Amino acid sequence: MDSLIKIDNLHFNRNGRAIFTGVNIEIPRGKIVAIMGPSGTGKTTLLRLIGGQLRPLSGQVSVDGNIIHRLSQAELYRVRRQMGMLFQTGGLFTHLSVFENVAFPLREHTQLTESMIRTIVLMKLQMVGLRGARHLMPSELSGGMARRVALARAIALDPDLIMYDEPFTGQDPISMGVLVRLIRDLNKTLGLTTIIVSHDVPDTLSIADYVYVISGGNVIGAGTPDELQKNDSGELAQFLHGNSDGPVAFHYPAPDLATDFIELSEGNSNL
Amino acid sequence: MINRIADIGRGGLNLIEAYGKAGILLYRILFRWPRITKNFYYVVQQIFAEGVLSLSIIVVSGLFIGMVLALQGHHTLVKFGASMELGPLVALSVLRELGPVVTAILFAGRAGSALAAEIGLMKATDQLSSMEMMAVDPIARIVSPRLWGGFISLPLLTLIFNVTAIYGAWMIGVQWLGFDSGAFWSNMQSSVDFHVDVVNGIWKSVVFGFVVTLIAVYQGYFAEPTSAGIARATTRTVVYGSLAVLALDFVLTAMMIGGW
Repeated sequence: MDSLIKIDNLHFNRNGRAIFTGVNIEIPRGKIVAIMGPSGTGKTTLLRLIGGQLRPLSGQVSVDGNIIHRLSQAELYRVRRQMGMLFQTGGLFTHLSVFENVAFPLREHTQLTESMIRTIVLMKLQMVGLRGARHLMPSELSGGMARRVALARAIALDPDLIMYDEPFTGQDPISMGVLVRLIRDLNKTLGLTTIIVSHDVPDTLSIADYVYVISGGNVIGAGTPDELQKNDSGELAQFLHGNSDGPVAFHYPAPDLATDFIELSEGNSNL
Repeated sequence: MINRIADIGRGGLNLIEAYGKAGILLYRILFRWPRITKNFYYVVQQIFAEGVLSLSIIVVSGLFIGMVLALQGHHTLVKFGASMELGPLVALSVLRELGPVVTAILFAGRAGSALAAEIGLMKATDQLSSMEMMAVDPIARIVSPRLWGGFISLPLLTLIFNVTAIYGAWMIGVQWLGFDSGAFWSNMQSSVDFHVDVVNGIWKSVVFGFVVTLIAVYQGYFAEPTSAGIARATTRTVVYGSLAVLALDFVLTAMMIGGW
């Protein structure tokens, strides 16, 4: 398998808490790979490790043969020019209009003329259905629209790899359908390698070629959507089917409920 | 007891860490400025945002401070029969001390807090992260132009403050209290030394501009990305900036008077 990204024995801690304890993941070139898992399992952290915004405690993340955390800043930025990332919050520049946001990477990294920049920006905005919104400021957009603008910006330089962090959150059904189709079309027509981090099981499984499910610092399941659907291991099945009962605890670790209430009534508790 | 010692130690380590981070930030600003032509445009934008937009507060403050200084000066000088020294009193006070110090403190409150909040909010809303992911260095693109903008703006604002304050004093002394305009200006001219008074005051403002803006961009860039964290960053910018100005003013004055 020709892999664009290889993650080997990745360990990562945050504030003394282990987020990853020996994760191994391979992202094949030109495929759509979904990273799924319960909240707080470090899916966004994984994207930031791939993008080189965080350094692993041990193990390594390599993108196209480059071990990300060993690159100099100049080398890292050269690799990042081939990456696009759609942040959960959109990350749009609030002082720039929609048009200028999408034009930003083009102005920073190319010597294109104004007319060419205009053409490319309008093409990208047309793809996400927001060509008519080019004069608006980010504060005038809904959350879903802001993410679509961020998507247009992420693909402005036609990257080889695009990472989507919760792209479906806040989208209405129409936008959701268009977005799902757009992600698939971008992958097929431009040959982009795509990583999707999402909680949206049905939509993500409908477009993913391969899926990794992360929980408790490790990969608990990996395979094609069909293979995962057939897998009935407790943790994986609980996540994919949204069951409240199962090995994955809904409650954050806490003392026994009765003990907590007795302490409260006796005035012993700090909170 | 042990906890107190540990707290002191932790505080010391945090302080050293903060100075280290500020030093690295400054190094990255000063030594990584790859595209002069493009960044020049961003610096001009920041001179507008930090300098031009601070003009109103500087002009109004300068005018009132000059007017109050003239009234207070007249009230005191007249007791000693030295009311004709009003011009020199105002000019020397403003050029040497009040101009650079008050302008820097006002700048910390108006532009410094805005810088810290802007950069902190950009961090909290992933704007700096998305810039990094687009292979654009946020220090070169966001932080550096803001530091240079403040560094250039503050001396210019100080000059404007000085002129306005002296004009305010002239309005009170000559227009209201009836001093002779020629005596007001000629006494001032004979007492003020361009290098010792005017240039030294500008040197102070150059140092203040650099320090206040560095504190502001540092606080914004390393702010905790929450609303409370941004509030703390803006407060610290004003408090640390003002205290740094007052402390540095003492050091610089001692150096200038001592002829260091």
